[in-house]
Amino acid sequence: MLSGLLVDLVPFTREWYQEKMHAYWNNESRLWATMGECMPISRASIARIIEERAQGRARGYSGVHFMIRTKDGVTIGNIGLNWVDYHSRCGYLGAWIGEEGYWGGGYGTDALLLVVEYAFDWLDLRRLALGTMALNVRAQRNVEKCGFRLEGRERQATLVNGEWLDALTYGMLRGEWPGRETLIERLGLREKAAQRYAIQEE
Amino acid sequence: MLEGTLVDLVPFEDDFAIYLETWMNEEAWFRAHVWERREPHTEDDVKKYIENMEKNERGGLIGFQAKNGDPIGALIFDHEWTRVRKAEVRVVVGDSRYEGADEALDGLLMLVRYCFETRNLHRLDAVALPFHETWIEHLRRAGFVHEGTLRQHIRWDGDYVDLEMFGLLQSEWPGYVQKVAELSLQPSDIEPKPKPEKKEQKEAQPS
Repeated sequence: MLSGLLVDLVPFTREWYQEKMHAYWNNESRLWATMGECMPISRASIARIIEERAQGRARGYSGVHFMIRTKDGVTIGNIGLNWVDYHSRCGYLGAWIGEEGYWGGGYGTDALLLVVEYAFDWLDLRRLALGTMALNVRAQRNVEKCGFRLEGRERQATLVNGEWLDALTYGMLRGEWPGRETLIERLGLREKAAQRYAIQEE
Repeated sequence: MLEGTLVDLVPFEDDFAIYLETWMNEEAWFRAHVWERREPHTEDDVKKYIENMEKNERGGLIGFQAKNGDPIGALIFDHEWTRVRKAEVRVVVGDSRYEGADEALDGLLMLVRYCFETRNLHRLDAVALPFHETWIEHLRRAGFVHEGTLRQHIRWDGDYVDLEMFGLLQSEWPGYVQKVAELSLQPSDIEPKPKPEKKEQKEAQPS
């Protein structure tokens, strides 16, 4: 478990995967942050995805996935490395906060800092990359303030709600990572956490 | 057979399958696939690769040869994404004498033609190692647009090197005929290589 200020990153549970992913994938469509790839998905399909992922390990599947849980025990999404290329020491990040009420409160940023630190300091990766679509301005802002740089813009690389959208690729080299502590200070996460959990206790 | 200007597209079998056992272990293959680990491909690996590409519903492996029938290499499209109508393209110039030649460019143009004019794809992706200048030049001449640089993305020969990203939209493609007219392709008149030796078929031993 990786312990942050607003959230902890914890192992996936099958129950969560089945129930929460079912809820998130079948949310109102405005909440979907996938690359436009969406359709109503059944529990059986999700169960199959879980199975495939579990079997994938035997075939060399290199992904590392965590659930994001707030300090008071609410699971709000997931984050991790969808794929790690250990030869080139590059990891591909992916994240999803399915609970709209937890957008913009620093939860995703806190989780991102934990995963980046884990990837650089424990997995000894030297580069991280991630993709998002042009529409997802919130994700772009988040990763930019954590040190990621825009490296590529694939034109019309996805179709969302009937419109062609660019796909963006971001990258960060280990030397560019300001460090988790520095970013916690810079982004005021400690204050956000104090405020958030003080209100909770009242 | 799909007839191009300097090359023709043919099924990937016979001589191509024999050549592939060499090609898949050579620089052109590793570079085109950004295959940084370059583990050796055994005969079985090569056979399995061809089989897999035959069964691949999201991609294809096509042979391309000079007008005199000399096999040049492989045209590959893969990871076709139905919803977005895009795919990745690569050209393996197996016979290194054709590296940078207009035959290799025509191979790329014919692959683009097939993807846009037959498969009706919307977008093609291509990647290039920054030092693979002949490929980058061919991508540019074909009309591909440089869309980004993934910094130090690949471990390559003791170093970490960038990966260049390119893309081409169907709307930017003037059509093969017009494109070829713009480019005035020149044949390189390379002598055809001797035919590879056919492998002896192992006869079934009576038990």
